[in-house]
Amino acid sequence: MKPFRTFAYLSTGLTYLLIFIGGLVRVAGAGMGCPDWPKCFGRWIPPTSLDQLPVYIDPAQFNIVLAWIEYCNRVFGTLVGVTITITLILGLKNYASLPRIRWPIIAAFVLTLVEGWLGSVLVNTLLNPITITLHLFLALIIVMLLLYTSQQAYYLDNPNSEKLSRYPSHIQWIFGCLALSLFVEVILGTEIRGGLEMIRKENPIVDSQFLLDMLGPFKYIHTVLGFIITGLSGMVWYYLVKKSINPSSIVVQSSTAILLLILVQIVLGEILVFFRVIPLVQLFHLWIASWILGLVCVQYSAWKRSQIAHE
Amino acid sequence: MGAVILLGAGASWVIQKANSSYEIPILKPVPVFSFINQDGDSFTDKDLNNKITVLDFIFTSCPGPCPIMTQNMTGLYKDFDQVEEVQFVSITVDPDVDTQGILKQYAKINGVKDDRWQFITSSIEAIKDLKKNGFMLYAEELPRGHAIKFVLIDQNGQIRKYFDGTEEASMAVLRKDITNLVKEFKS
Repeated sequence: MKPFRTFAYLSTGLTYLLIFIGGLVRVAGAGMGCPDWPKCFGRWIPPTSLDQLPVYIDPAQFNIVLAWIEYCNRVFGTLVGVTITITLILGLKNYASLPRIRWPIIAAFVLTLVEGWLGSVLVNTLLNPITITLHLFLALIIVMLLLYTSQQAYYLDNPNSEKLSRYPSHIQWIFGCLALSLFVEVILGTEIRGGLEMIRKENPIVDSQFLLDMLGPFKYIHTVLGFIITGLSGMVWYYLVKKSINPSSIVVQSSTAILLLILVQIVLGEILVFFRVIPLVQLFHLWIASWILGLVCVQYSAWKRSQIAHE
Repeated sequence: MGAVILLGAGASWVIQKANSSYEIPILKPVPVFSFINQDGDSFTDKDLNNKITVLDFIFTSCPGPCPIMTQNMTGLYKDFDQVEEVQFVSITVDPDVDTQGILKQYAKINGVKDDRWQFITSSIEAIKDLKKNGFMLYAEELPRGHAIKFVLIDQNGQIRKYFDGTEEASMAVLRKDITNLVKEFKS
């Protein structure tokens, strides 16, 4: 495999892992584990005891476990940033003339810088809820750009891929609706979570079932939209797998994986609503949503490539 | 699939670590004692049961740290006025001067309106013994030589943590810990 493709894949994989770690920081309540940025308690390596705290920091803020969780997130974020930078350099060096490689990787790189800056804003605003959602939203866009880049890198090495496949041409609108619904669904989900945290902060004593009841309408919209997404994904699967000629393995696998992951999402979502708000389930519920969004992006790119080939 | 399970296990471990980082240790039980409060009613170790208690040792004519301690305690008393599971107890270390009437007046001056904050007293020997052997706090040369600690006690009468009663930063941690203990008690 050529180095560019290797690094494009690596960046995508590591960014997915970073989304997972970011979600973990959130559910572990470690977002303010380091009260300053980019340093942690005024140090490049977090303190391991109270004596190491600088005098200007309130010792009441110090929790060694939370500090190290947040610190790992930052270190991993830096590693991802370096990997994306290497991908950008390799991409511009070898494929600067190809817009389908050049633009997505430049966009991913720029947005990664913005994402790092947003991380500092988050700490400075003591985890402003809108900024948290924006932080996630941007991460999803970055990972989709990286996936797109990786897929194009794959096509560079496999130029005939999708050219022998024929898919129905009128399904663009379904992709549009599906992507939009998925984004709205993720935002709604984060609002539910944010709402839960807000109520919990102000009423530390109430239990999580009562909290969920307080969120009534949001919860139902999230569920209804979930069913709409299931329907739309089913339609895409039907057109791409059943109503097509010689569908590629990328399309078949991504379409099937989407349906399976949606099934998992329904189960996880119901666990959260009917049983208990379990942090680990919350974490996977969000992470899998990012996978579905990525797979829809893969599906669409493959479909688009085939359409262009047959124009 | 294996990688996902591994991730899940790792995340689960991290979440558990994070949760336990909020936990407050169980130090020792409060021993049996039987004192009286500012209204002349009995106050014993049994009155610590089913409540989260913040307790300190003061004396009303104290010029030094006590006013700051009482001011901090007043802040807590007001902050937790909606949480019936939380109570406050101040034990005088100067029982000869701090009579029932004086304690009652002291409570009034500090805005105490209900029995969520009680001021209790006994003989100097009993107080000294409780302070020294029950709460493991300095109790020589009373009343002046008294400790400035706030003691956090859980619903089972177990001492959970000590705080510097004169320090604002310490109060922030105490507020968080009271909330966590109430949560733990309710669940």
